[in-house]
Amino acid sequence: MTQRRGTLHLLLPLLALMLLVTGCPKRPATTAASAPAPTASTIVPTAPVQPTPAAPSTSPSTSAPAPAPAPAAPATAAPATPPRPSEFAENANLRDVYFDFDKYDIRPDDAKTLDANAGWLKSNANNLVLIEGHCDERGTNEYNLALGERRAKATMNYLVSQGIQANRITIISYGKERPVCTEKNEACWQKNRRAHFLVKAR
Amino acid sequence: MSTPRRLAFAFAALLAAAALLLVPPPAARSQAPDVLLNVIAGGAKKLNLFMPDFTVTGAPDPAGLSRSLAEVTGNDLTFSTLFSVVGGQPPLPAGNPDAMQKTWTEAAAAGAHAALHVVVTPRPDRLEGEMRLYDLTSPQLRQIATKKFAVVPSEPRRLAHKIADEVVFQFTGELGDADTKIAFVALRGGAKEIYTMDYDGAAPVPLTANQSINLSPRWSPDARSLAFTSYMRGYPYLYRLFAFERRPVQLLAGFLGINSSPAWSPDGRQVALTLSKDGNPEIYVLTLASGAFRRLTTHPSIDTEPAWSPTGREIAFVSDRSGSAQIYVMDAEGANLRRLTQSGFNTQPRWSPKGDTIVFTSRQGTHDLWAVAPDGSALRRLTTGPGDNESAAWSPSGRHLAFQSNRLRGSKVFTMLADGSEQQPIANAPADSASPAWSPRLP
Repeated sequence: MTQRRGTLHLLLPLLALMLLVTGCPKRPATTAASAPAPTASTIVPTAPVQPTPAAPSTSPSTSAPAPAPAPAAPATAAPATPPRPSEFAENANLRDVYFDFDKYDIRPDDAKTLDANAGWLKSNANNLVLIEGHCDERGTNEYNLALGERRAKATMNYLVSQGIQANRITIISYGKERPVCTEKNEACWQKNRRAHFLVKAR
Repeated sequence: MSTPRRLAFAFAALLAAAALLLVPPPAARSQAPDVLLNVIAGGAKKLNLFMPDFTVTGAPDPAGLSRSLAEVTGNDLTFSTLFSVVGGQPPLPAGNPDAMQKTWTEAAAAGAHAALHVVVTPRPDRLEGEMRLYDLTSPQLRQIATKKFAVVPSEPRRLAHKIADEVVFQFTGELGDADTKIAFVALRGGAKEIYTMDYDGAAPVPLTANQSINLSPRWSPDARSLAFTSYMRGYPYLYRLFAFERRPVQLLAGFLGINSSPAWSPDGRQVALTLSKDGNPEIYVLTLASGAFRRLTTHPSIDTEPAWSPTGREIAFVSDRSGSAQIYVMDAEGANLRRLTQSGFNTQPRWSPKGDTIVFTSRQGTHDLWAVAPDGSALRRLTTGPGDNESAAWSPSGRHLAFQSNRLRGSKVFTMLADGSEQQPIANAPADSASPAWSPRLP
């Protein structure tokens, strides 16, 4: 190991010479300034949804049993495993709401839409609702997964504030993975930054 | 003095000599029009490596391994950017030192600094290869390294890759990046499936075929498995698949909400990930042996995309707690938070294998890759369009980066050197591929 390191040290200046440094226009400023620190780690014992670790549809696996590292699952008030998204259906009475770029707060106009959706859900109390959170194509997959989650959650929270029971609501984020519009312009992106509703009879 | 060290001296001397004397590239032989496999512009800065086609012993060569494996090794060495490879010449006869001496002498006279001779021996159960490296600048044209390899017969390209990695090791003290895979996400109809291919784009094979959305493949440090997010059961759960074994997919995290953004700890015992089960996206660490989840962030904003430092002591991540997405660093217990980027919209932190650089994606209209030191200094831009350039993945040595770019039509996996130079698409990589994950060196 020391041999390798010694060799590397010898070569580094040479390699540096060989590598042409590229230009560096517009740069986002960085500093090492500190930001508010989070509190230290906490073990959170919420019950995970635990589908069995079989792999019905993923190649190249076989169905031989394998011990997934199954987290211990202490009982909590967490809802039971939600129905699959494919069990929910479109309903024309529930209208989408839309979000500003990179935002997940409910806009005033969309609050009215959500009031109407809440009204329908109150008068159709036998329906569960699935709220999908979506993003436009800008931004990275992982970040948009989180952003879509926040949009679905903000929408859910609004409906709960209007008297819809939280246990009727399931949320799912699709991030940027399920756009309704694929053109590269703001009109299209706005259509994609949405919360969409599906329902399922209890 | 160790062999690599001696070679390093030789390499340094060669480079100095090359710079001073402007050594011309070795001349092509008239009877071999394809003699120059690769002569790079600016080749004077590289080591001129003479490499005849491989000598296949003991049998005729119906599969054409002599030429095909030499081409793979030659391309690997060219990719490393350390060598100007001169190949395409007929193989040396086996066990004929005089013929070899004559060939080496001619190559040296034409400007070659080193020569690589590989003897391949097919066996019923394995493919053996022996590489011998010669210093053509020494008066005796002396042999400076030799090493034997064996691979299963079904994977002959790995023999070529291993030889290339060893040649890089002999000249730099560190193995090359050729005997590796790149996993990626491919758009297939409405689905996104995870594939793997050789680092050079050969032999793409699907790892998932569940017709749902599969995202964020991340290799385990032992290069045997990948963690990934999948909607195969409807909701975005985190799974682990074994790339080279017939083993079932394991569920790693199936909580309500998102289970995303896996990042293996350097020792492979833990996976950092994003869960929203407690209300909003936060970063947790899963200990695989116990199944215990440890929460690291506690903030009402988005916290996601963890990336371990190679020591395992720190984790970089993305948070929008300042109002826009920025890169932060905390220690592996969640304390000692510091903000790394100040302006713009920055995601996808990727810590370099040597620990000295964090590459990330910055959005300024379109996306481009930037790099910064973990203390916030040495900020520099790696890509400048065209299109979106994002989702970087380090090669094991840290000399190369893979990334996705839509500068050509559709998304494709590209590579570049860590300083942003030598940007090029992986030639044979499938179309509509994204989110590359460069494997550690294969076991």
